Amino acid sequence: MTGVTKRFGPTIAVNDVSFEIWPGRVHALMGENGAGKSTLMKMLAGVHRPDAGQIAIAGRGVTFANPREALAAGVSTVFQELSLLPNLSIAENLFLGREPVGRMGIPDRTEMARRTTAVLAELGMDLDPNTLVANLSIADRQFVEIAHGIKADAQVLILDEPTAALNAADVQVLNSQIEKLRAAGKAIIYISHRMDEIFAICDDVTVMKDGNHVATQPLSELTPDSLIALMVGRELSDLFPDRAADVGPVRLSCKNLTLGSAATPLSFDLHAGEILGLAGLEGQGQSEIVRSLIGRHTPFGGEVAVGGQTLHLPISPERGVRFMQRLGVGFVPEDRKEEGLLLGASIAENIGIGLQAARPGFALLARVRDTAKRIMRDLDVKAQSPAMPVGALSGGNQQKVLLGRYLAADMDVLIIEEPTRGVDIGAKAEIYRLLRALAGQGKAILVLSRETVELIGLCDRLLIVHDRKLVSELAGRDATEHAILNAALTS
Amino acid sequence: MGNLLRSMSRIPPAYFVFAALLATLWITKPQLMNMNVLGIFIRQVAPLGILVLGQMLVMRVRSIDLSGAGVLLLVNYLIASGLLRDVPLPLVLLLSLGIGCLVGLFNGYLVARRRVSAVIATLAVTVIITGFVQFLASGKPPGNMPDVMNDIYKMKWGPVPLPVVLWVALTGLMAVFLSRFVYGRFVMAVGENPTASHFSGVPVERTVLIAHVLAGFFAGVAAIVQSASVAVGSLRLGLEMPIDAVAATILGGVVFGRGDGGVWGPFFGVMCFAFLFVVMTSFGVPEPGKQITRGAIILLAAVFYGLSTRNS
Repeated sequence: MTGVTKRFGPTIAVNDVSFEIWPGRVHALMGENGAGKSTLMKMLAGVHRPDAGQIAIAGRGVTFANPREALAAGVSTVFQELSLLPNLSIAENLFLGREPVGRMGIPDRTEMARRTTAVLAELGMDLDPNTLVANLSIADRQFVEIAHGIKADAQVLILDEPTAALNAADVQVLNSQIEKLRAAGKAIIYISHRMDEIFAICDDVTVMKDGNHVATQPLSELTPDSLIALMVGRELSDLFPDRAADVGPVRLSCKNLTLGSAATPLSFDLHAGEILGLAGLEGQGQSEIVRSLIGRHTPFGGEVAVGGQTLHLPISPERGVRFMQRLGVGFVPEDRKEEGLLLGASIAENIGIGLQAARPGFALLARVRDTAKRIMRDLDVKAQSPAMPVGALSGGNQQKVLLGRYLAADMDVLIIEEPTRGVDIGAKAEIYRLLRALAGQGKAILVLSRETVELIGLCDRLLIVHDRKLVSELAGRDATEHAILNAALTS
Repeated sequence: MGNLLRSMSRIPPAYFVFAALLATLWITKPQLMNMNVLGIFIRQVAPLGILVLGQMLVMRVRSIDLSGAGVLLLVNYLIASGLLRDVPLPLVLLLSLGIGCLVGLFNGYLVARRRVSAVIATLAVTVIITGFVQFLASGKPPGNMPDVMNDIYKMKWGPVPLPVVLWVALTGLMAVFLSRFVYGRFVMAVGENPTASHFSGVPVERTVLIAHVLAGFFAGVAAIVQSASVAVGSLRLGLEMPIDAVAATILGGVVFGRGDGGVWGPFFGVMCFAFLFVVMTSFGVPEPGKQITRGAIILLAAVFYGLSTRNS
């Protein structure tokens, strides 16, 4: 790509970017959200046309009028958004629009199933090709999506955050698949926010910032710290604010929470002024623990003391969230598009809905516009006005709006799943500072995250969860990824 | 250009259709353009307009209510049959509203709490009520409506018929209720995303339940106005009314989960039905032709619904 530029109205999304990718190498494309990565890739994939500059594949200049032409020229893309049809089977999705036709012009289902099984097996997956996509887990869907992108006979392959929904084991499988494609001489562009993945599988990296090209160099010349420094102009250790000096009284106490009939009861206390993290390998029960507290998971038993009341678990799945909010406990769900935000509603409405929900239905609406403005200013939400629909914001700004809802409602205890999922490095640092400031004001914060580095950097105390038990406790300042893994696996 | 087109597509089609019908009438039959003539036609759709207020509400919270037909039939029968001839009329009317609310509560329980399909639940409720009315009537046709109701129905406030005043007033109240009160915000949130609403602390079940109770209440009001408009009771079940209500709501820009048209969009959806009737009558279109055109309008609404959900 040479001197590629793309404008959207007055804003320049990509400004005079030039770089090369080579066959048989995995090329990381990095930058904060809004740096222009996606726009650049959409030009390569034929979704957008560059306003200036030249794209050449194997020395030949190309212009794509549409994604189909790009696909024909050997550029294949796995986009971030899931594009599968939930009500069709895996095989039907993979062969949509180009079903192998048997006699009498009827799609050959046996052939489709056979080829689907083969493609999935290559990805190390053992799924029934006739399974409906709706019945697959998010991770499995992502694999089917990748299978969809890879199986087209492509020379250039774009993977846009393929691992955002995958756990560590699935990432391994994906990585080995990428190794194979590299060995087959394909040129691969890999977009991800996960530093460890970039260093595990990529050969080169191109860094973008504000639409501009910052650097292209082999990863062997870089360390995670120097790479982040290229992206944001500061080092990794600067991302995390200082920890709490001392903590206050217990705000939420969970006693003998039993996730299953045979599970070991677990207990923990959450203090005012501290950030407590649930760490460990993925899917060991962290999510069930926090969701039990608001009734979205039904545990076997236990009790939780908060806001001067002791509640016996399980609590009502219908009324749990509301009840806990009344006791000053805010729950920030992980999936901000499905569970968190009202994407079509405005920023002010999204921030205010928690306040409105605390009022009876026949009451007049609370005035929230000033509160919304204050929170947008405090959290530095980048938007023209509080009336903008939240769906139009970047991931980082959406996450700030979601957190802002619980700030507006002034909760004493915050339970936050994945505080920075799909958020760029700059916004991550802002969210860490915000959470620390909230703890400093005496709020109690319980966090769970897939990113161990984040938990270590952010939390005062870590509880290691393994096999639905609390197996260990570490102070944040002593914790290392190694120590956490060790505690989990030697339990 | 794309932006203009997009903002155009957010304007409910009812406004365009209404403007077109108005223009047609103005050019071809200017002598009809006075409130005394039009008022009579608009009065005919007042029951539909009142029913639409409830339909619009349940559709915004992703539900639907087809039980209006049942409520209409039952209330109509109760007033006309003389079964309650010893009960004072105001009490009968209150009872009618109570029946509407009760049916709505039952619908709401089934849809919000038991998660039954709204179409099936409310249709089944209509079938049950129909059977119940037939059991009460045991084949005999119901009697006459009380004269006083028809007298009130024919009264006017200035040039505007009283039922139309009631309809506009209820629509105005509804607009204020939805835009100024917390419940309106809950309706918006649940329509936008029920899961996210739940996690923000919105009482999702209760919001849907109350929407159905209100829809039942409006069905009760619509049934009273409808009963007042006829001289004798009838056992004929009219499913047209709830279907028309769905069509008018969609024409008014309110589709499942989205309320772009607000309260006035569906209002003009109903006005379209009234004016269509005027235009067709003035052109001498016979009854079967009107029936076919009505069907075409409902189809148009369904097509528009398909388009607007695809865009979102």
